Amino acid sequence: MRLSRRGLLRAGLAGTAATALGGLASGCAVPTGSTGRNMVLWYWSGGLSDTVVKNAKARYDSSVDLDAIQIGGQYRSKLITTITGRAHIPDIAGLKGEDMAAYLPNADQFIDLRTLGAEKYKDQYLSWKWDQGIADDGTMVGFPIDCGPVAHYYQYEIFRRAGLPYEPADVSKELNTWERFFDAGEQLRKRIPGTMLLTDVNSVFENVVQQGSKRYVDKDRHFIGDQEHVRRAWALAVEAKRRGIVSDLVSGTPDQLSAKQDGKLPSELGASWAAFDIKNGVPKAKGRYRVADMPVRPANNGGSFLSITKACREPEQAFEIITWMLNAANQAQGYVDAGLFPSTPASYGLKQMQEPDEFFGGQVTTDVFGPAAQKIAVAYNSPFDVALGQPIKDEIKNVGVLGKDPKKAWSDAMSKCRRIAKHLGVSY
Amino acid sequence: MAVLEQTPPAVAQPSPTQPKKGWRKYWHLYAAISPFYLIFLGFGLFPVGFSLYLSLHRWDGLGSMEWAGLSQYQYLLSDSDFWNSIGNTIIIWALATFPMIFLAMVTAVMLNSAVRFKGLYRVAYFLPNVTSVVAIAIVFGSIFSTNSGLVNAVFNAVGLDQVAWLNTPWGIKVTIAALMTWQWTGYNAIIFLAGLQTIPSDLYEAARMDGAGPVQTFFRITLPLLRPTLLFVLVVSTVTGLQSFSEPQVLLQTSSNDSTFAGGPGHSGQTMVLYFFQQTFDNNDFGYGAAVAWGIFLVVVLFSIINWRLVQRRGE
Repeated sequence: MRLSRRGLLRAGLAGTAATALGGLASGCAVPTGSTGRNMVLWYWSGGLSDTVVKNAKARYDSSVDLDAIQIGGQYRSKLITTITGRAHIPDIAGLKGEDMAAYLPNADQFIDLRTLGAEKYKDQYLSWKWDQGIADDGTMVGFPIDCGPVAHYYQYEIFRRAGLPYEPADVSKELNTWERFFDAGEQLRKRIPGTMLLTDVNSVFENVVQQGSKRYVDKDRHFIGDQEHVRRAWALAVEAKRRGIVSDLVSGTPDQLSAKQDGKLPSELGASWAAFDIKNGVPKAKGRYRVADMPVRPANNGGSFLSITKACREPEQAFEIITWMLNAANQAQGYVDAGLFPSTPASYGLKQMQEPDEFFGGQVTTDVFGPAAQKIAVAYNSPFDVALGQPIKDEIKNVGVLGKDPKKAWSDAMSKCRRIAKHLGVSY
Repeated sequence: MAVLEQTPPAVAQPSPTQPKKGWRKYWHLYAAISPFYLIFLGFGLFPVGFSLYLSLHRWDGLGSMEWAGLSQYQYLLSDSDFWNSIGNTIIIWALATFPMIFLAMVTAVMLNSAVRFKGLYRVAYFLPNVTSVVAIAIVFGSIFSTNSGLVNAVFNAVGLDQVAWLNTPWGIKVTIAALMTWQWTGYNAIIFLAGLQTIPSDLYEAARMDGAGPVQTFFRITLPLLRPTLLFVLVVSTVTGLQSFSEPQVLLQTSSNDSTFAGGPGHSGQTMVLYFFQQTFDNNDFGYGAAVAWGIFLVVVLFSIINWRLVQRRGE
């Protein structure tokens, strides 16, 4: 067939018009949720165990097509956009722990899991974790996936050479206050010159705040970042700087990794999932690390939830899938596959979690993380916490890194918080 | 369409000889160019308009919007972090652009006179520009790291003190600027090269006959005739410089729970767009984020006017 120019133009025009019309037509018929037998599950890479997802697909194959999609990039933005756009909303959505503050005030976008009988599972899960998934109005939005108990990772041989306690049980017992932890840091620096206990002051500040049951904004939308619990964390961070036990390195940089590998940064306070970062970052340190309790008490860092959105057409079915995927046995599998520390204490005794870890010199790390997970106190998670915590974290960083005067830094942080609080409608 | 077709009859039937009205005669031409406008309407103009609407509200992205009037803008004016981010952006832009233009010019002059492997050089110089910024930033992060970085190794070798590049306010700015310089020098060298090749060679011959040396030739002939190219390069690098985002974001992100948009200690690497992201996506403050976006727009307009004035003056 010979195409004339005119014919080509006509064909092109017709094609464009058809596409435009098609777009319009399908625009009218965009389904809110999934269609047919589909049950769409959104999560992110490493958010769930691949094995468990695969098994769930096979297990529920007779009733639904479980379509589990890994969403890359900015997960929360994409989920929010989809929900706000009211189109193609997943039936089941993973929610990251640090984003819960953004979802909970909008609990009406999700199905209250209590109406599906969630209460009867409650005693199988860590109670603080369970409560984190519940909004102010009592709606249960998130069903617990994992948690992130924070512990003290340290290098056995370096601690031994510095004359410090070096067996995990002794480290946990003897370095159980910040004061003693800092003393150990000074001893470490004196005995092995060039060695620093911690990377930066922020790890002290943030972990002390996380250990407590209060953060920056309370339930009544009142700023509490100027109170004793934050001041104490601030003072401890300043103290760590003054005693010269923090490095001038930036966490996550090649410098920090090489310092860890050389044993110049033998200690860090990290959540259970940090074990994977250490293994990947300094693979040559295999066998040198151990895990002990963090000074004073454990804290939580991270951990996520599964939710059922309002768009889900078969909530009962979705709920059954969720509870199965997150039962104790599957959570243990999640730990093996993706380092997701279970929120089900019954998992801790299972064989998969009692394996000695060669990277940690054959230690069974669950013996540290398991009990820690059960001793965590959590603070109210305000949607304004991020905005009002940031200036304080920024200023303590300025103290640690730029050597800013702590008094000036504190007053700068407070005046900034006052301004932001006013802007956000948070009382100061 | 249906509405339009109903309009004609009633009043006066147009006589067959009367030429058709504009849209009727040319509708197929309009239809042919319409896809761009339709897409622009949906994905360009509508979001722009909506962000203006958004900036007058408080919104967390999910719940209901709350009318805020001009309070977001009022707050923007008093927001020291926003002004700081404008300052950072301009300083980083200046630190990157002027060395970049100088280097690009030198490279272009050299490429112009190089005899062998011209094509190879051109490709090689263009390569940084098409490489992913994220990949470049990761490499630069290593090059500028404090203890194990290449730059500090060179500093040590010539007896200078180590610099904590990514941990001091000026170090951060210089590093970001170095990255941008590296990325854009080759691209602009190619543009300059194109400009150089439009200069007729008889001008150079005449200059040589009059006894002008190479320096004089460069300043009296090459530079004035390159002026339009120079302005183009300046405008393009202003546009890209004011939008810098990935460079500081990737260079300064840490593995801890830190905000990836904070821009390092003292916010010293926090550019305008980075600040916009922090307010919008870290704080879930979409209303204020929109106001920040309009603030950035005004800054860009200001710079565009300055650029435009520069071009205008030449025309006089």
